[in-house]
Amino acid sequence: MPRSEFAKKTLLGVVPADSPFYAFHPVTRLTLLLVLSVAPMFIDRPEINLAIIATTFGLFWWGGVRMSDLKKYRLLLVTVALFMFIVAYLAPGEKAQLTPVSLAGLTLYWEPMRWAFVSYVRLMAMLFGAILYFSTNRERDVLVGLRTLHLPFPVSYVAGLSLRSAGMFMEDFATIREAEQARALDLDALSLREKVKLYTMYTVPLFAVALRRADEISAALYARGYTLSGQPGTGGKRTDYLRDKFVVRARDWAVSLGLLGTLVVIAIVSRTTSVFSVQSSPLIAFVEQLLGIG
Amino acid sequence: MNAIELNGVTWRYEHAEEPALVDVNLAISEGEFVLVIGPNEAGKTTLVSAIKGLIPNAITGVLKGDVLVFGDRVESIKPPVLAKQIGFVFADPESQFTALTVEEEIVFGLENVGWPRETIGERVEWAARITGVEDLLDKPPYDISGGQKQRVAIASVIAMQPRILILDEPTAMIDPLGKDLVVRICAELKNDHDMTIVVVEHNIEAFAPLADKVVMVNEGRVERIAPPREIFRDLDHLLARDVHPPQVTQVFGRLRERGLYHGELPLSDEEGFAGWRTLLDGAAR
Repeated sequence: MPRSEFAKKTLLGVVPADSPFYAFHPVTRLTLLLVLSVAPMFIDRPEINLAIIATTFGLFWWGGVRMSDLKKYRLLLVTVALFMFIVAYLAPGEKAQLTPVSLAGLTLYWEPMRWAFVSYVRLMAMLFGAILYFSTNRERDVLVGLRTLHLPFPVSYVAGLSLRSAGMFMEDFATIREAEQARALDLDALSLREKVKLYTMYTVPLFAVALRRADEISAALYARGYTLSGQPGTGGKRTDYLRDKFVVRARDWAVSLGLLGTLVVIAIVSRTTSVFSVQSSPLIAFVEQLLGIG
Repeated sequence: MNAIELNGVTWRYEHAEEPALVDVNLAISEGEFVLVIGPNEAGKTTLVSAIKGLIPNAITGVLKGDVLVFGDRVESIKPPVLAKQIGFVFADPESQFTALTVEEEIVFGLENVGWPRETIGERVEWAARITGVEDLLDKPPYDISGGQKQRVAIASVIAMQPRILILDEPTAMIDPLGKDLVVRICAELKNDHDMTIVVVEHNIEAFAPLADKVVMVNEGRVERIAPPREIFRDLDHLLARDVHPPQVTQVFGRLRERGLYHGELPLSDEEGFAGWRTLLDGAAR
């Protein structure tokens, strides 16, 4: 699949102009998100979650997503890793029951470190599933997917408004920061303490803007005849124009059922066997052997 | 029957000491194009918010008097019914966007009032064509230019084909080219679709030629209601309130004050050219 030369901007990033994912109904793509996000919860074995991550990257490639766009998530990956491993190091739990390991002059405890590693890989599998979804679905696809599941209109509508609010929040934040930089604020010259203080101060205008926007949106909803129930003024059923433009085809049923079936199998196997447990992990066993544990 | 009627309307915003509207009486007939003018903070937006029913239904305060839309009190009309009767384009187009794509933005109101799928499709196509936003339908409304945003805002309102269209400063936040497009859209709606149109605008020059009636608002009161040529006669009164009639009207107004011109005040460049021709022909004779 050739990489897309053109990408379309969305609230949460960019999506390829063309992608084989677009041949599927939004609800099928939502099912993929569901499976990629939920399946890792049943799996402790890191190599299986790593395999899910590898599959997800295969889907990124197949879906025409520009791999360079994923670079922006590096900081997130590092931050989450640092946070999890620091917590495991600083708050390991009841030390008497843990296995101490000496590494580069530090005394670590194996069980919390193993937990941090297993959880981190699981979290990454879930996170890349979500990134794949938002890298191959526009806002409209998200809403159509939710509405096809027959969620009440106000629920899907509030979900859309929330997505839009996230975008507006980022825009407002950028505007406030640019306004400060235009008045000679040099962020690089500030100490960490000063930066924290500055970011705290941002909450005041951001909160004020958010309140104003809430007021404006409320007036706009009233002006366009929206009622809390989401039902039309005529009393009949609400037409869902956008949802009706998409058709669920046989291949959508096949893929969705296949994905959901896989999820069910994973859940059953996880509950009835130890195949997905840490104890069954050759990778963990190998690391334990390296460290001389067990 | 009047399309809009305000009888003794006084409105004070919650926590405000002074009323924003004071004893306003106004009648607008069906099919009229009304231009609302006045200085900043005069009460223009408050006036049209009262007509739309945002006051008192969505904004809190104390209302006295009656606002009637086709004979019914505006606060008694349900929002979906009122949305069919009156479309409202806000001054900041972005503030009215509630959807994630332009198409969904246009569709939203149509779904609220309960149109069937086929009608919605036709209306979307029609509104997108008139406003020239056909190529933007799958784009997010927050990721387009200011002029495009204003046209999307107008498209999303006119798609409902309301009997009354209110535009609150529709050219305030856009470039000259975008302004021309908005004026062209208003002209088309007035001439071809017979809508009752109320425009609040500082850019009087652009809308004066379209207006049947001008409403001058100052300090919460309706000071004058008259056809544009009549209201622009008293130049000093308007300029003292920082209201600027079209330049061509001002020039001919001054000539008229000096007894050099006796014809109708021109409202557009074309009428101005005709006026100059009359003057030059007179001088040549």
